[in-house]
Amino acid sequence: MRRHTLLAALVLWALASTVLVAHGVSDKDARFLLSLDGPAIIPLMYLGAKHMVTGYDHLLFLVGVIFFLYRLKDILLYVSLFTIGHSLTLLVGALGGIRANAHIVDAIIGLSIVYKAFENLGGFKALGFQPNTRVAVLIFGLFHGFGLATKLQEYSLSRNGLVTNIVSFNIGVEIGQFLALTAVLLTLVYWRTRPGYMRHAYATNAALMTAGFVLTGYQLAGYFTAGL
Amino acid sequence: MTSQTETHTLAAPSLSKLARTTGLALLLAGVLLITIVLPAEYAIDPIGTGRWLGLTQIAAPAVSVVEPVNAEGAPLAPTQKGPIGEYPREFKYDVFEIELGAYEYVEYKYQMAKGATMLFSWTANLGVLHDLHAERAQDSATGGPAEESFDKSSRQQATASYTAPFTGIHGWYWENPGAARVRIRLTSAGFYESAVEIRSDRTRQTHPLRALESLPAPPRQQTRTETSEGTIAVP
Repeated sequence: MRRHTLLAALVLWALASTVLVAHGVSDKDARFLLSLDGPAIIPLMYLGAKHMVTGYDHLLFLVGVIFFLYRLKDILLYVSLFTIGHSLTLLVGALGGIRANAHIVDAIIGLSIVYKAFENLGGFKALGFQPNTRVAVLIFGLFHGFGLATKLQEYSLSRNGLVTNIVSFNIGVEIGQFLALTAVLLTLVYWRTRPGYMRHAYATNAALMTAGFVLTGYQLAGYFTAGL
Repeated sequence: MTSQTETHTLAAPSLSKLARTTGLALLLAGVLLITIVLPAEYAIDPIGTGRWLGLTQIAAPAVSVVEPVNAEGAPLAPTQKGPIGEYPREFKYDVFEIELGAYEYVEYKYQMAKGATMLFSWTANLGVLHDLHAERAQDSATGGPAEESFDKSSRQQATASYTAPFTGIHGWYWENPGAARVRIRLTSAGFYESAVEIRSDRTRQTHPLRALESLPAPPRQQTRTETSEGTIAVP
């Protein structure tokens, strides 16, 4: 019983801290990015890692992806696919100056959470067709990276040291993802030893899907009110 | 092992259960969005819950309107004696520096009484859109603050004197027209009361001003000082 309380407290703390930090780049960090003129490897790595650790949309998607992965080999495979996807679009997008509407990209990221939760619920099995999960994770990885690239470009980084800075940011993102993944995995591994895990798996993924819908709605509302 | 069997999920639920779950998730998401998220993020409050819970304040914080003192003959108004304008208090000096990101703007204005004078000089490392203007507190005709522009132009620097045509706030609007960062530095001295800075994100902050007398006195120990320009005498 006490263990459950502890776990619940941890989850609450994690939720509260991510919600408080919110997902954009904070004001102070934004000023730093604007003032940059030249390479800043460690600060950019830190900001990349921070973005990933505090970015609840990325975290929720990862929870969905590894929810039913038990073997390290599978986890590595799927996380690598996700990493290849978002690194590719982050680098190409930020270096090539390609940007999309941040709200639309974030709405698609919200839908990626819905998609993965739906799959975990056995939704595709029930419907009788199963899209290739690996391809889906790779494609959603591309969108997550595109979101990162779009946000980074809002700060019109100086051309001086741009490549170094964006590569540093990407390395930071990977470090942050590794740290976040470790925390998620530890929680899930512990949770799996509890009898409630399978019993609550359906409800948990339904909640994950709800969160995905909320994020999607939030971003779509942002898109439609932006011009007002 | 094929990719089919590798997909680890729960066993397929019945279609009706799946539809119920998805519908419930959508419904719950909709309720959360309408009652909490949209009011807090965008002040969209269709059923009034945001107002009731105090969430709409987050999206639409009460903007504090700049309230210049409007009374003529305010503390720092000069008394004219021919060419001399006498002021009741010491004059102030101020240095203001700011960096503007892509397309950002800033307004920096002093509270000045009618007839009060200041001297100023400002420079920017790149050209900026600029407007030297003044605002009165209230316009009796429209009810809003009356604004008057005196120099609307693209500039990189200006060196001038300024005499307030009416009591209100007087100063600059600078806008970065491009993506490169712009640094602006303003130095001024004059008979003004307080300074206010208004930024692109509509945050507003007042700046403390120092009396010119608070500048440190020059050192008096030496009578002669060696400088790169040569030797100058110091009293």
